[in-house]
Amino acid sequence: MKSVNRRHIRVACIGNPNCGKTTLFNALTGSKLKVANWPGVTVERMEGEASYEDTDITLIDTPGIYSLTSYTIEEKVTRKCAMDDDIDVIINVVDASSLERNLYLTFQLLELGKPIVLALNMMDVVKERGMEIDLHRLPEMLGDIPVVPVSAARRSGLDILLHAVIHHYEEGGGKKGVLGEKIEYILEYPQEIEEKIAKLEVMMGAHFPTHSSVRWHAIKLLEDDEEVKQEHPISVVNIVDRSYEKEIIQCKYAYIEKVVNEVLFHKNKKAASTDKIDRILTHPIWGIPVFLLIMCLVFFLTFSVGDALKGVFESALTAFSDLVGKGLDSAGVSAVLKSLIVEGIIAGVGGILTFIPNIFILFLALAILEDSGYMSRVAYVMDSLMGRFGLSGKAFLPMILGFGCTVPAIMATRALETEHDRRKTMLLTPFMSCSARLPIYVLFSEMFFPKYAALMAFSMYVIGMIIAIIVALIMNLPEKGKSTNSLLIELPEYKHPNARTIRIYVWNKLKDYLTKAGTTIFIASVIIWFLLNFGCKGMISEPGDSFAAVIGRLLVPILAPAGLGMWQIGVALLSGISAKEVVVSSFAVLFGVANANSAAGMKMIAENIHNVNPEFGALNAFCLMIFCLLYVPCVATVATVRKESKSRLFTLKMIVLQLFLAWLVSTLVYQIGSLLL
Amino acid sequence: MILYDAVKDREYKIEGLYVEPGITRRLQALGLNDGTKIYVLNRKKRGAMIIKVRGTRLALGKHISSNIEVSEVVNTEEAETRKDG
Repeated sequence: MKSVNRRHIRVACIGNPNCGKTTLFNALTGSKLKVANWPGVTVERMEGEASYEDTDITLIDTPGIYSLTSYTIEEKVTRKCAMDDDIDVIINVVDASSLERNLYLTFQLLELGKPIVLALNMMDVVKERGMEIDLHRLPEMLGDIPVVPVSAARRSGLDILLHAVIHHYEEGGGKKGVLGEKIEYILEYPQEIEEKIAKLEVMMGAHFPTHSSVRWHAIKLLEDDEEVKQEHPISVVNIVDRSYEKEIIQCKYAYIEKVVNEVLFHKNKKAASTDKIDRILTHPIWGIPVFLLIMCLVFFLTFSVGDALKGVFESALTAFSDLVGKGLDSAGVSAVLKSLIVEGIIAGVGGILTFIPNIFILFLALAILEDSGYMSRVAYVMDSLMGRFGLSGKAFLPMILGFGCTVPAIMATRALETEHDRRKTMLLTPFMSCSARLPIYVLFSEMFFPKYAALMAFSMYVIGMIIAIIVALIMNLPEKGKSTNSLLIELPEYKHPNARTIRIYVWNKLKDYLTKAGTTIFIASVIIWFLLNFGCKGMISEPGDSFAAVIGRLLVPILAPAGLGMWQIGVALLSGISAKEVVVSSFAVLFGVANANSAAGMKMIAENIHNVNPEFGALNAFCLMIFCLLYVPCVATVATVRKESKSRLFTLKMIVLQLFLAWLVSTLVYQIGSLLL
Repeated sequence: MILYDAVKDREYKIEGLYVEPGITRRLQALGLNDGTKIYVLNRKKRGAMIIKVRGTRLALGKHISSNIEVSEVVNTEEAETRKDG
């Protein structure tokens, strides 16, 4: 229960992409949102709670924007939030090491007339580079708004910031812009424009008397802003004879130059080390090999170190399974329940848990890459290559994220400029093997290619990329020459990855994985266990009579040309649509193995498969891996694509394409392979 | 001349932006306007380039750099300080 005399205010964090909004938000609210050192990570507004003395604060984190215009999804989301009458105070998060560019948004926000507190983030970078900022003069030049130096990463200055927010709120900071009241704005435009603004303000006041931010709206009308024009259908043709956007922007930047000249000192003292690193990492020739080397290292660590750690998890799981089995026996639990728990749940869910080391290392590596600032360089390095497929280098970023999980990767396509590029990238991203497919590769390559397991697993990643390239090339054929490559991305300063940020990132991913094991995979395991142990005649002992077998047999004719003509595989693939890991847990349940990932478990599965179908060999296993790589990723991905593309037809086409490609490629490989081997 | 033809490690002044309106607005918001000085940090033979403008680095694709009109700033000393800033 909240005490009665506590008050409640709503505060929005607004700032440029990559200026540390989310880090600050996390630090203030104790929340654990994902952060990365490249633009476009926060795509939706997020809310969190903080409190200071007698005030409860709802903080809203917004997608980073460069300008309060409305041309991108991020800008629309953030602009709507900034304009919201619910918002009591705006914290404008500013990257102090890039003051000049960041202040442009600040001056747009100031025109809103709302109470604004400037959080001057990354002051440590400023110091590191030997620069100094005049903290006395800066607020003066911004119209006396509070300016608070903070370090979101080191969590310093946070209390002062909250205090400033509340104090500013109490004082009723900001300029409401009520009609008739002459307000001094720190930034004034040339007389011609100011006169037009004044006229528009009068008109706005007459038509929309309850409006706040009158000056801001007037300026937006002068800038010929589509959204503001639509929302305010008043005839302004005699005042707005053309767009004054260019002059208004130039005027703002001219004033900002003045501010920077007065408050920023020693800006040339030390060359940024970032430029030196970039000489190598974005080298015209070495850029791509260096990137490939880094990715190889990531996967090498994922497989080798991950596998080394796996042993611990395996023995723990085997011991646990035995213990539960014995415990259930001694408790006199019925055979059905014991079967459900040991062969259904522990086999299904537990098997998935043993892959945690691999997944942990993969996400750790991705987190370090993202937080260091390397990711946006990848967009630059890969731009020429992506250009051949009619995409900008930026489209490569969602694809790398796709190695982690396809769902956030699909959401990351929002950073792309056009709907056309987004859809294309959405189609390609699922071909990047996500971490859920990793267990399948590890299991089958270790079972059937013991000597070359890591190589075989890695080959899946390569095949996925090759298929993506082929699909992209085919899609690009009809539009060859027409597409314009318009890469535009900010390259942030390199920084040492922040331990806290990485911990949050990796823990979030592991939590997702564990949650999935506890929910989707748990339910899928129980369903499969049921389908496998029950048939038309009730509980059965011969799996061949089960419901699962009936369903699986329907798929056998289709899967047979691909070398996958076993009803068990049909069932595993079908259940794998719920989540790809379920393919592995299904195999565990189907073949009654408690731990599919252990040496004994693998041997047992291999033996069982051999018993059912003596011809199922390495080639079949390879085809199974390919099929799993290419077919429908999972329901979560499908739902995300549906939501992000806003098109059922597109989503359906994608599913058909994936199923067709999976079948085609695995069939081709199997048929050609059978001839050769 | 167009920015696409610019040489690495030299400074240029923007004379005009002739990209699509949407991209032009973005560039303007990032501080690229007529008269803004930019420094070419790195570039590929054919394709994208990295420029420094107002203290931040931007990667620009060929399409954008081909539609920005620039003129070279000859003052080498100033170019040096720009680069460092």
